[in-house]
Amino acid sequence: MLKVENLSKTYPNGTQALKNVSFEVKEGEFLAVIGLSGSGKSTLLRCINRLIEPTSGKITWDDEDITAASSSEIRKIRRKIGMVFQQFNLVKRSSVLTNVLSGRLGYVDTLTSSLHLFSAADHQRAMDSLDQVGLTDKAHVRADSLSGGQQQRVGIARALMQEPRLILADEPVASLDPVLAHSILKYLEQLNKERGITVLCSLHFLDLVHRYATSAIALKDGEMVFQGLPKQIDDAQFKAIYGQEAERVSVI
Amino acid sequence: MANSLIPPQNLESPILATVSSLIIPGLGQALQKKYQRGIFILTFGIILASLIYWSTATLKLGLISLGTIQVSWLWIPFGLYWLWNVLDANAIGMKKTPGILAGIIFAFIIIYVIAWNVTEVKLYRLVERFNDARMVSVKLLNPDIFTISINGEDSICDWGCLYTYLEDKISGHQPAGVVRISDNVFDIFGRIKPQPAPGWRVSLGLAAEGSRVDTFVAGTLVETIAMGLMATLLSTLFAIPISFLAAQNIMSRVPGGAIVYYIVRTLLNIVRAIDTIVWGLIVIVWVGLGNFAGVIALTIHSIAALAKLFSEEIEHIDNGPVEAISATGANQIQTISHAVIPQIIPAFLSYSLLRWDINMRSATVIGFVAGGGIGFFVVETTRQGAYEQYATALWAIAIVIILVDYISARWRENIVADQPKESVDKVQKPIIRTLKVAFYVLLGLIIAVYCWNVTEISIRSMLSPGKNFSRLLMDFIHIDLTANVRMVVLQQMIVTVFQAMLATTIGAIIALPFSFLAAKNLTGTRKYSIWIYYAARAILNILRSIEALLYVVIFIFWVGIGPFAGMLALAVTSFALIGKLFSESIENIDPGPIEAINATGASRVQMIVFAILPQITPPFISYLIYQWDINVRMATIIGFAGGGGIGLTLTTYFGMLQYHKAGTVVAVIVVVVAIMDFASAKLRHMLI
Ligand SMILES: Nc1ncnc2c1ncn2[C@@H]1O[C@H](COP(=O)(O)OP(=O)(O)OP(=O)(O)O)[C@@H](O)[C@H]1O
Ligand SMILES: [Mg+2]
Repeated sequence: MLKVENLSKTYPNGTQALKNVSFEVKEGEFLAVIGLSGSGKSTLLRCINRLIEPTSGKITWDDEDITAASSSEIRKIRRKIGMVFQQFNLVKRSSVLTNVLSGRLGYVDTLTSSLHLFSAADHQRAMDSLDQVGLTDKAHVRADSLSGGQQQRVGIARALMQEPRLILADEPVASLDPVLAHSILKYLEQLNKERGITVLCSLHFLDLVHRYATSAIALKDGEMVFQGLPKQIDDAQFKAIYGQEAERVSVI
Repeated sequence: MANSLIPPQNLESPILATVSSLIIPGLGQALQKKYQRGIFILTFGIILASLIYWSTATLKLGLISLGTIQVSWLWIPFGLYWLWNVLDANAIGMKKTPGILAGIIFAFIIIYVIAWNVTEVKLYRLVERFNDARMVSVKLLNPDIFTISINGEDSICDWGCLYTYLEDKISGHQPAGVVRISDNVFDIFGRIKPQPAPGWRVSLGLAAEGSRVDTFVAGTLVETIAMGLMATLLSTLFAIPISFLAAQNIMSRVPGGAIVYYIVRTLLNIVRAIDTIVWGLIVIVWVGLGNFAGVIALTIHSIAALAKLFSEEIEHIDNGPVEAISATGANQIQTISHAVIPQIIPAFLSYSLLRWDINMRSATVIGFVAGGGIGFFVVETTRQGAYEQYATALWAIAIVIILVDYISARWRENIVADQPKESVDKVQKPIIRTLKVAFYVLLGLIIAVYCWNVTEISIRSMLSPGKNFSRLLMDFIHIDLTANVRMVVLQQMIVTVFQAMLATTIGAIIALPFSFLAAKNLTGTRKYSIWIYYAARAILNILRSIEALLYVVIFIFWVGIGPFAGMLALAVTSFALIGKLFSESIENIDPGPIEAINATGASRVQMIVFAILPQITPPFISYLIYQWDINVRMATIIGFAGGGGIGLTLTTYFGMLQYHKAGTVVAVIVVVVAIMDFASAKLRHMLI
């Protein structure tokens, strides 16, 4: 169980990106994080694996205090938390396989991995991960020769290499067209349902939230304004989250 | 068994490939459809073998006795290269991933051993003469800016002396002597002196005929600035019409235009391949020594470079507006003035500004051969061993060039950004706009006229060329291709190319760690480390503002005249430019992968290896090739100041008036520079 208590983040320039956010995520949940652009979704997800240092508050994961972890402890914790990014964040000039293998870095020692030497087991694991996302035939091509949807699948395969128990996905489909959006979210859903991996995913479109999430929270200007089941987000809630002028739109 | 069903060619092709590569390197690779790899391996093999052969024949390099015969030990790495090629062909045949590292290492051993020797690298000289070098560097840090006269005796007042003087002044003591700004500073910047009254003053009634009035006489630095400005202005004016002749999309519409296009393009490429300083040698035969020769040399090279850039810009204009304007029923001229010109003006301006920067740099050294400006001043002072005077010039140059670099970059940025400055409700009154424009036009005119005067531009001397000039033209057409000359020129050209390569390597090795210090995203983010960033950037900018020729004069004092000194000078400029380019590409890396790798729980070293190195390696290699290309051009001229290589050969031939041999050198330079240009562009294109 992931527990976030009174989490706040103020950036050095004074922007208050998160204000006293508290919520819990149970094992095996698919939690959607919604909110307008700039509401603090990315900041929240990055505080959980401490890519961003929170200003105050506490995050615990199965009784382990993430916020208090030392830098070597946090690396151990990060191994178990996969992350998927809006811009995929692949090393474009490296091969797909190298990108996937890099998901294993937290487990292997620095010296041999710096020489790009990985064990046969890790190679096998990488091919399996690629198989999961249906890209085994692309293992040896350069990452930037793939389409956006394929790159995001590589991103998922990289996260899988970590054998994660939690996946943080920051707008994983915002750079993709609607058809691909569904295909990517289906992969995440599959991991969530079949392997019981907890998923925290920020999303823009409400109907995607309805379709995939088991629960949802909403942020507005850094404050949490909603917590509950996706279907509880009615028109009034919607206006509260997105503002009075907002209108519902949907993807296919 | 299924195994026996494998078609025979699958078994045979690795063997066939291996055997063919054993006979001819690269053949096996080519047979397996790896044509590019095959051609590379073969070409390199041939180059390496000829280099080894040449180095043993001319330099007796690396000879060892084997019984009665003497052979070069370099054939050992060559044999290993051959062996690697065989294994490579085999690996491809067995569908294994072949490695190129071993091949590169063996090739590099051969190349660098030869480079080291032909450049006459003598490291002990660096140590042996260290004391002299230190003396010079002390002088360089204490430029001749102030003079102190004690009991009527003048001497240079260095920083220490100045400090004591000021201390005495402030504390009320009697200073040891009188301190004033030294004559040297006035030589560089200029002074006010009575001069015969110029014609326009007399005709305006401001001075009497034949009287003397106080006039500002330009110093060598002002002359240099004027040369750079004048050359930029003139070359822009000439390049505009020429660029239309060299634009394919324009010339293909004119009957016979294609031929004109090819001729003009070829001419531009040839003119561009000859360095400004080499043009200086030719121009002085035409109009004699002086600032004017400098302006012509700068202008010629600059026209060729600008016309090429301009014509490419014309070729890439957006056809949409042209179509739209034609569709309104406008005629050809109207279309050009309303659809073409508005599109090309910003680009032309920005290229001219870029060229201004380059011209200013060249102007600081054109005096080495053309005899004007600060370059000539440097030649004179260093010849007398007056390094304090030389130091003042260096610092003055550094300041001017850094300023020019900054102004030119800022203006170019503004042009590229091209934001409409005023919002609609804040449009300036037309009268103010007109006045502003008029003011700038007037200012520009005054500066242009002043530069015209300072640089002693004289159409008359252009029309009556020096007595040797016609012979020079004839000799340049009938160049000397006798075996002896061919051999000397070829040998010196090889030295030059290797000098450039070694300089690039050394510059890069130092620049690599340094560039991390000069990258804003690495050192510029914390309160204290930002000072490291500023310091690193300042060092790079100062070193980059001084041309290689100006460094040569220091290094010949340190390690003696010859290719080693030239190579060291080039290494310094390479370090500065590579350091700048490297740090900029570090600044431009995508932070996304860094974040992603960090999120996997990777260590810092792993993050560097997996997220940063793959991003910076290709641009780094591409910059190295680019730098080598630049260095070959530069290496052709460092000989003018004693840096060895083909430049020395060229000045010698010019000095002895053997123009037909000088012509050979120029021709070889054009060919080599063109090949380097082409090869480096191709290689860099492959990397990206
Ligand atoms: N490094 C930073 N420094 C200062 N302010 C920042 C920084 N990163 C984000 N912010 C600010 O913090 C607020 C929250 O940003 P965040 O990126 O978390 O929002 P978001 O909900 O992910 O938005 P989007 O949908 O655009 O990705 C915004 O106002 C943003 O401008
Ligand atoms: Mg975001």
